[in-house]
Amino acid sequence: MEWINSVWQHIDAAFIRENRWQLYLKGLGVTMQVAVAAAVLGIVIGTIVAFMKISVKKNGKPTILSRIANIYIDIIRGTPSVLQLLIMWFIVLKSCQNGVLVASITFGINSGAYVAEIVRAGILAVDKGQTEAGRSLGLTQVQTMRYIVLPQAFKNILPPLGNEFIVLIKETAIVGYVSLKDLTRVSHQMTSALYDQFTPLIGAAVIYFVVIKILTILLAKLERRLRKSDNR
Amino acid sequence: MIIVKDLHKKFEDNHVLRGVSYHIHPGEKIVIVGPSGSGKSTFLRCLNLLETPTSGEVWFDGQNITDPKTNINEVRRHMGMVFQHFNLFNNLTIMDNITLAPIKHKMMSEEEAKETALKLLQRMGLSEKADAYPSSLSGGQKQRIAIVRSLAMSPKVMLFDEPTSALDPEMVGEVLAVMKELADSGMTMVVVTHEMGFAREVGTKVLFMDEGVIMEENTPREFFANPQSPRLKEFLSKVL
Repeated sequence: MEWINSVWQHIDAAFIRENRWQLYLKGLGVTMQVAVAAAVLGIVIGTIVAFMKISVKKNGKPTILSRIANIYIDIIRGTPSVLQLLIMWFIVLKSCQNGVLVASITFGINSGAYVAEIVRAGILAVDKGQTEAGRSLGLTQVQTMRYIVLPQAFKNILPPLGNEFIVLIKETAIVGYVSLKDLTRVSHQMTSALYDQFTPLIGAAVIYFVVIKILTILLAKLERRLRKSDNR
Repeated sequence: MIIVKDLHKKFEDNHVLRGVSYHIHPGEKIVIVGPSGSGKSTFLRCLNLLETPTSGEVWFDGQNITDPKTNINEVRRHMGMVFQHFNLFNNLTIMDNITLAPIKHKMMSEEEAKETALKLLQRMGLSEKADAYPSSLSGGQKQRIAIVRSLAMSPKVMLFDEPTSALDPEMVGEVLAVMKELADSGMTMVVVTHEMGFAREVGTKVLFMDEGVIMEENTPREFFANPQSPRLKEFLSKVL
């Protein structure tokens, strides 16, 4: 009984007393804010970069745009995201004092590289014959993309895009480096305030887990529905 | 109608077409046969520039379509193409498959396009499939719809790239029957196929392609009865 009592004491101190749970909730708010903003930006950047990357000249050689896209993807994938964040915060966007904004932009640019690969793969996975049939009917490249390839690519793209969002939520745990009070940072600060590492850290982990589990379930549902309406 | 002048096509080091010249007249049904890798499909795909020739010219209706200044999308409206793997648009219903291009080209209003499509589908006995998606159709049905899709544009010539090669044997007949009907209606056709019966019955000319050139050309009767080159003799002895 005493054991249970002690656990309760810890939970009470870490979450309930003085409405401390609100701090975690605020932290989760920051986490989600950065993740959602970054996801939106990442999708925009990723889609543009994907089209840049698949562009080819008439002789089949890659265009300058495609080379630029490759360099961008290489740099993003070849450097740690913590460093990207620090570089943005201390160098590139030094004059911007809004941490959420800087973090959102950083993760948006970061995510864009991965989304670009997802979109590109989704487009390339559509059978080449679909494009050929469209072009043989006199449709332009843009028309063929818009009415035939992209609607089919969309179904390939959506599930991995959901995964990318989940990755993004966890990746943002490093925004404490630029003194943003996200969920991870809040729980970390709580450990020193309470002289108790266990409860706040495990608590934060549980919160991440639950949020992501819910998203995973929703995503699986969406995927199933997509497959059901799959007319291929 | 189509004039091909000294056509060459290279894929990297692979010299697939090594100088093909030919003249296709209106109303002709040209059947192209030959071993795989002989360049016959590449030749066909060069006619509507799905493959860009490395050198040489293709003229269609007095227009040099290999000239980069030619609007190839405009030219392709008049050249129907049927593929080995049907290539129906998977995301669209049969009706939308057929009407997409005519509507986007503003050749017809939506109602007109639908009416035309329904008429064509009725002729094929497939009108009840109008709202179905391609995945629910058999191979033979898909290929007949693909033919309808091309016909909806009222093309001047129809190109067929091994239209029956991906079909189950019992479905080959229905597709060939449609093609025969089309031939009887006076359509100009260029057909790459392995169906020697079709070549004999429908073709006005049969071409034998091998090693990237047209090795032999003749009327179907002479082509099968009196093959000249040893390569064609050997080929016919294998396929007949």
